[in-house]
Amino acid sequence: MPVEMATATGTATMEITVSKFELLRELTATQGVVERKTTIPILSNYLFEAGGDKLVLTATDLDLSLRTSCNAKVKKEGSCTIPARKLHDYVKLLPDADITIKLLENHWVSIRCGRSNTKMVGMARSNFPSLPVFPTAGVVKIPAQVLREMISKTGFAIANEESRYTLNGALMVLKPESITMVATDGHRLAHIERSGEKFDGVSGEMKTLIPKKAMDELKSLVDSTEAESIEFARDESTLYFRIGPRLLTSRQLTGQFPNFEAVLPKDNNKLVTVRGEELSAAIQRVAQFADERSRAVRFRLEKGELKISASSTETGESEDTIETAYNGDALTVGFNAVYLLDFLKASGNGDVRLELKDPQSAGQLRPGDSEEYKYRYIVMPMRI
Amino acid sequence: MSEFIKTIFHVDMDAFFVSVEELFDPSLKGKAVVVGGQRDERGVVSAASYEARKFGVHSAMPLRTAAKHCPHAIFVDGHPERYRQCSEKVYEVLNSFSPQVEMASIDEAYLDMTGTERLHGPPLRAAQRLHDKMKLATQLNCSIGIGTSRLIAKVSSARAKPNGVLWIMPGQEAKFLAPLDVRDIPGVGKVMEQDLHQLGVYRVGDLAALQENVLEDRFGKWGMALAGKARGEDAGGWFDSEVGADTDPKSISHEHTYNDDTADSEQLESTLMRLSEMVGRRLRENGLHARTIQLKLRYQDFTTITRAHSLAEPTQLDIEIFEQVRTLFRNNWHKAAKVRLLGVHVSGFKGHSGQIELLDSTLHERWNKALTTADRLRDKFGESSISLAAGMKGGFRERTHENPAGLPGKGRSEK
Repeated sequence: MPVEMATATGTATMEITVSKFELLRELTATQGVVERKTTIPILSNYLFEAGGDKLVLTATDLDLSLRTSCNAKVKKEGSCTIPARKLHDYVKLLPDADITIKLLENHWVSIRCGRSNTKMVGMARSNFPSLPVFPTAGVVKIPAQVLREMISKTGFAIANEESRYTLNGALMVLKPESITMVATDGHRLAHIERSGEKFDGVSGEMKTLIPKKAMDELKSLVDSTEAESIEFARDESTLYFRIGPRLLTSRQLTGQFPNFEAVLPKDNNKLVTVRGEELSAAIQRVAQFADERSRAVRFRLEKGELKISASSTETGESEDTIETAYNGDALTVGFNAVYLLDFLKASGNGDVRLELKDPQSAGQLRPGDSEEYKYRYIVMPMRI
Repeated sequence: MSEFIKTIFHVDMDAFFVSVEELFDPSLKGKAVVVGGQRDERGVVSAASYEARKFGVHSAMPLRTAAKHCPHAIFVDGHPERYRQCSEKVYEVLNSFSPQVEMASIDEAYLDMTGTERLHGPPLRAAQRLHDKMKLATQLNCSIGIGTSRLIAKVSSARAKPNGVLWIMPGQEAKFLAPLDVRDIPGVGKVMEQDLHQLGVYRVGDLAALQENVLEDRFGKWGMALAGKARGEDAGGWFDSEVGADTDPKSISHEHTYNDDTADSEQLESTLMRLSEMVGRRLRENGLHARTIQLKLRYQDFTTITRAHSLAEPTQLDIEIFEQVRTLFRNNWHKAAKVRLLGVHVSGFKGHSGQIELLDSTLHERWNKALTTADRLRDKFGESSISLAAGMKGGFRERTHENPAGLPGKGRSEK
């Protein structure tokens, strides 16, 4: 018996020293990927791999994985797994000093920092799932700023309904000289396009469906990076985004993104331009009195003014009027206030062009001054 | 004064399912008959003939238990469509007697007969005529309880069985109820019964003798209602509403228990499709849209889970219900674990918000039209005349159970 026990623990080793500041930065960056409620315990753990002068950290929920690294003094190369949440919570509380991490027997891991000394219960490294490897060919560089802009202007329109899985992500279309991103939840659609970029390695049209969770993660990674560009690649099953030293991989969504081009309005003839801030403020005020569930507000377009109103039997009624240069036929149409506010928040200050047709057809909203980006937002009315 | 006294009939068909089966197979008459499935099958007894009841067989008892109690009984499968058809005939008869008819389930109804004396004569004569007409039109026996409240009518019809009429004359309610067991009051279940026993209350008379505030202290609002019930008044919950008042269902559900537990995902999902279809049908019948979709999953070892999801937009389309239920199923089913029962339950009935679809607006309309047409075919040719292909493999004999939501005289679909 004693012999067996000795071999079970094997000769796995790892001993490193890292700065608390660097380690915490990477732990924080990867928390979003760690599975919170999982039936597979290993997924609540980080994989730590020490080699050369680096510590490589990996977290995965099987759909999404994030691999990152920080500088480390590596005394003994090797690897181990450590419960992710607990480690993050603990490291946050440590003083700003060097931390020594050492693998012990039975997958326990010692964490020492100054006079603090902790042993955490890890799991066998062999249980950690193996991750896809970044492809060597077909890598496309996308400017970080462009991706940042596109995600912030479309991400909010992705469907939250898990059952509509082809809408559960954004479509990215790369062409040799343009990039487009589209997201929809079946009621509204956000579409942004940028031309005049050069994408080496793209020929024809490269369509990729990026899952919502990957979009969210990508957004926070892109928002916090100083890297100028992102490296993007894919194979049959996986998407890869390299953001500086961090690598995000995501399982691809299968299925067809809907044919959105068919629903882009073409003959909307009632056009009016208003200040985005003014419109947003008016909708927010009026929406206080909208039906709590439907959030419906009524737009009444008349010569020289746009009236926005809402009413509900419980709370009362409210109306705001905005002066416009509109000179066409009158129109009354209902919209979900939340959908409009989402767009107005994403599009920022400045003029907004409303392009409407009738009470049943899609309305289109665009920022008045989009030169670098062609940004449009399509929203279906409500029957009121 | 007399205009304030109500005359309520409770009409309860005698051994309804069994009697209907006898119409189709007269050889069953007078024998011990169990409706609901075969003796070695899973599932429960839907109904038992009076002959079988003598051996302790009752509805909701597992079929296999019933076979033990009454080995010589004849076991027949339920035929929900036959019962629905007969139930409709019953409804027609009742409807010709009073404009205020409420089917409480497939085989019982309340009639508000207040003020029909000039038309139908005094209550007993009216009941006799109703009884005769029922027999003539449906060939079925019924029992009729007559009282000044639903409660009295309901309790007295049970005492009139089989094939009888019992009228509790105004003023005699408390006297009639006093010797009865507290369990005989509708709404008093096992737990309430035990609580009452602790107070020393065994008969309705004991209950009536208690101070109301004792009951209120002990049972809250329910206690007050109970005090009223002990006097034979309609008090509390559903008993407060007028007969025939629009009482929409709060939820709709369908379940299926497999004869052989299965872990075949294709079959399981197919069953979910079939159940979603049945639920969708009921939603459309009642003109309702449901917001909350719930899955019920029972494994072989009887561990049962329910998982629900609320939609942004309420629906009455089979396919949307199915999509939700399937997602819940895929996220929660432990693969390879055998499943005993699946159920689809919808609630949160709301009107549609009016949001128009961007991508599937035509798809939605097409589904709406297709399903409406399918509903019409079912009305005409029966429930199994048409179904979605995805549910074919999940096809199963519909179990017979009370489903007030789909009955004539209930809900808004009434023509």
